[in-house]
Amino acid sequence: MIKTFPHDLNQLFAGILVMASVSGFMLASGQDEAPAKIDLTNFPGEIVEKVVVPIPAEIFAVLDKLGEPNWGSGIELPSGKVAANDRSLLALTFGGLVGEGFIAVQAKDAEEIQKIGREVLKLSNALGLAVAVRPHSLSIIEAAGDKDWKRVRDELDSTQQTVRVTMEKLRDEELSNLVSLGGWLRGTNVVTTFISESFSEDKAELLNQPGLISHFREVLEMMEGPSGKTPAMRAISVGLARLESIVSGAEIISEEDVGQLRDITRSMLEEFYYEKIDLEASKAAN
Amino acid sequence: MTRYFKTITRRVSAFLIALILAGGGIVYAFVNEAISMAFEAATPYVEQGFEVREDTWSGEVEPGKPLLVRHQLFRGNEYWFWAGTSWPGATVEVDIFDSEGQSVKLEGFSKGSYSGVRTLPGKTATYFVRVIVEFDPEKAAKDPELQGFNPAADGVGEFTGMVDWGLAYGYR
Repeated sequence: MIKTFPHDLNQLFAGILVMASVSGFMLASGQDEAPAKIDLTNFPGEIVEKVVVPIPAEIFAVLDKLGEPNWGSGIELPSGKVAANDRSLLALTFGGLVGEGFIAVQAKDAEEIQKIGREVLKLSNALGLAVAVRPHSLSIIEAAGDKDWKRVRDELDSTQQTVRVTMEKLRDEELSNLVSLGGWLRGTNVVTTFISESFSEDKAELLNQPGLISHFREVLEMMEGPSGKTPAMRAISVGLARLESIVSGAEIISEEDVGQLRDITRSMLEEFYYEKIDLEASKAAN
Repeated sequence: MTRYFKTITRRVSAFLIALILAGGGIVYAFVNEAISMAFEAATPYVEQGFEVREDTWSGEVEPGKPLLVRHQLFRGNEYWFWAGTSWPGATVEVDIFDSEGQSVKLEGFSKGSYSGVRTLPGKTATYFVRVIVEFDPEKAAKDPELQGFNPAADGVGEFTGMVDWGLAYGYR
């Protein structure tokens, strides 16, 4: 089946490609040309293991180009249920909060961003990283007050990076990866919610991220010690496997798939970020 | 101006740029000079609205040995990848390919110790960024512009068969 894109998007890409090819010709002249094709199955070098997880703002930027969602409706701060003694869940929640910050930036909601900035500091205290995070947290609050959205985005990225680097220095790479997973999960959940509300194949294509899901599955499988075997971590692991089964090999991500991805990511977030909704009880109450 | 002086000037400015791109906050991490070079290459694009990510790739590699970095890109965004090396006399090249190994480079530049490549992904998927750092110690030893430049004295150590590399990216 040939996949077609909406006319306006096709026109936009075509225009950009023409401009790019002209400027590309000008810029590339006078330097060695890149090969048109390389053999990835027999790469004669070193494959870099490190995976850089895109921040939610990268996906949000595309979603904005495809029609601005009501970002304000996507903000939903955590319920405060975090088990303070479980550092894995704290790390996931920290990432989730940073993801929440990116949603609030899209909504240009200074008050919510400042609230998130304070929550980030509180959580970093519980993780023993307050000294490293405090300057970022203060900058987030200040930039939100100034309505300097780009600076807020930069600071959120820096905050996550500082926390991850500090954790890695403390030889806590597992926790560092969980921060990324928390942010990715919160971002994916809000994206699936918006796409479900106004479905298009273009938007659904944003969820084609099997490489990242596979990376997070590996991260959880490699976790050592009891923290990787708690019911919450097992549930998140199962959730990732379910996400992978939907996304991997899918030529097109359907509306039904998006609904499933939304529900699965929500249930995964309910393991550490939100209160669990008892669907049976709420049905009975209604 | 000698190449030696240019190298020092560039390193100082790259360090300052790294500080600016770090948002003016306190830099806790060890300053990675190769990443600083990549950030220096990114500077003009920040003014064009590209958001440069804090998370990067870096390490050491044998000269001439290609490196392959996997990364998720989203159709609808535009990306620049910038590679850098701080090794005196070394050059770096960066290119980008899709999952079939086809080049998806739209434009690029190469200025010795840093280079860049731009792409507009045709689909949301994993892409592959190839980085190659070239360095010929014999050629560098004969280069009159590098005479008197002692990497060990500059804190980067004597050439032991490896050179540093860094890769950063931005989107808009």
